[in-house]
Amino acid sequence: MNGDDRWDDDARAAYQLPIEGEEQARDRAILRLRRESAKRRTGMGAWWVDPDGLRMRPALAAVCVLAVLVIGAWSGAGWMASRGVRAPRPSIATLPSGSTAVTFVFRAPGATRVSLVGDFNGWDPEATPLARATTGEIWIAQVPLEHGLHAYAFVIDGRDWAPDPSAPLAPVATFGRRNSLLVVGEDQAL
Amino acid sequence: MRRLLALALASSLLAPGRASGDESEEARLRARLKPELATPVIEVVRSAAAQGLPTAPLVARALEGASRQAGDEAILEAVRGYAAGLAAARRALGSTARAAELDAGAGALMAGVPEDSLASLKRARPSGSLVIPLVVLSDFVARGVPVANASNAVLAATRAGAADPALLRMRERIDERILRGEAPTGASREGLRELLMKTPGTPKERGSREPRERRQP
Repeated sequence: MNGDDRWDDDARAAYQLPIEGEEQARDRAILRLRRESAKRRTGMGAWWVDPDGLRMRPALAAVCVLAVLVIGAWSGAGWMASRGVRAPRPSIATLPSGSTAVTFVFRAPGATRVSLVGDFNGWDPEATPLARATTGEIWIAQVPLEHGLHAYAFVIDGRDWAPDPSAPLAPVATFGRRNSLLVVGEDQAL
Repeated sequence: MRRLLALALASSLLAPGRASGDESEEARLRARLKPELATPVIEVVRSAAAQGLPTAPLVARALEGASRQAGDEAILEAVRGYAAGLAAARRALGSTARAAELDAGAGALMAGVPEDSLASLKRARPSGSLVIPLVVLSDFVARGVPVANASNAVLAATRAGAADPALLRMRERIDERILRGEAPTGASREGLRELLMKTPGTPKERGSREPRERRQP
């Protein structure tokens, strides 16, 4: 063993010697980290402003965003359906003959058949059946209507007549139940 | 001379169309009604046509009654009553009123709206269409707003210059209030107040005031 080797051994041995106070320093560092961590959590709503306050796996975040979108769309559709919305405005189209295509939407839970009757089809319950939408409770029909005032109603399962809950009502119930009113060709469909 | 010839030609072209339209209506009535009912209904329709009244609403009432399986007497009574309503609507709205206005006016009159109210509406909007104001008025009455309050609300809004879309929004808001359980009278008053507050050129304090027409429903 030459002098250089001995110097290396001494240096290695010196680095391996325990440092005085090392255990206490490590304990203090751990304690401080715990305090800081606990302090961050206790702040009321701190995660709104703390950049490290909210951690989430990307996959979980994507699932949350998707859930919000689905719930929003479902709620919106439910709200529209609960109003029994006749929605002529989004799908109105002026036809060459001067008439207008109007979309009727009606919510009828449990119905097996829904049709539209009005002065435009001779009040014939067989003339204008509505198609069931994919949701099951919503029924839809698009009808070309001449400009003017129209009275109409929905017929559920061939026997129950019901007005459109979102439309103006006729003032007189001539034959027992009121009809709904629709104006086409003024500034807009009513 | 050329104008006279053109007029004569136009009349000759239009006349068959009118006649075929009448025949079509009568054919529809005969196809759907029993003969003993079709005959008096067609008489009412012909009488209305002779007076220059629209006949389509009368045919519609008869067909509606048939589809609802109403009795013959009820159907005939409904058709006669509507014909009288159309005539009264023309008295109130004037001879220039369009078919849709007469139709809407007849419904309002049959619900108890006085002819004076229709005439006041015509004066408030002399050149524009009254179809939507009359439909809104009819809807209020149907939902339980007293006739005087309903008439006053629509008249005050029309006098304030509210356009049809504003009237439609007022109708929707009042209907929503009634559905939430508010009394129809209060709901119509609040709906009118909201509309007047938002109508351009209307003094804001006017919205809280009773409409002038209230004293003469």
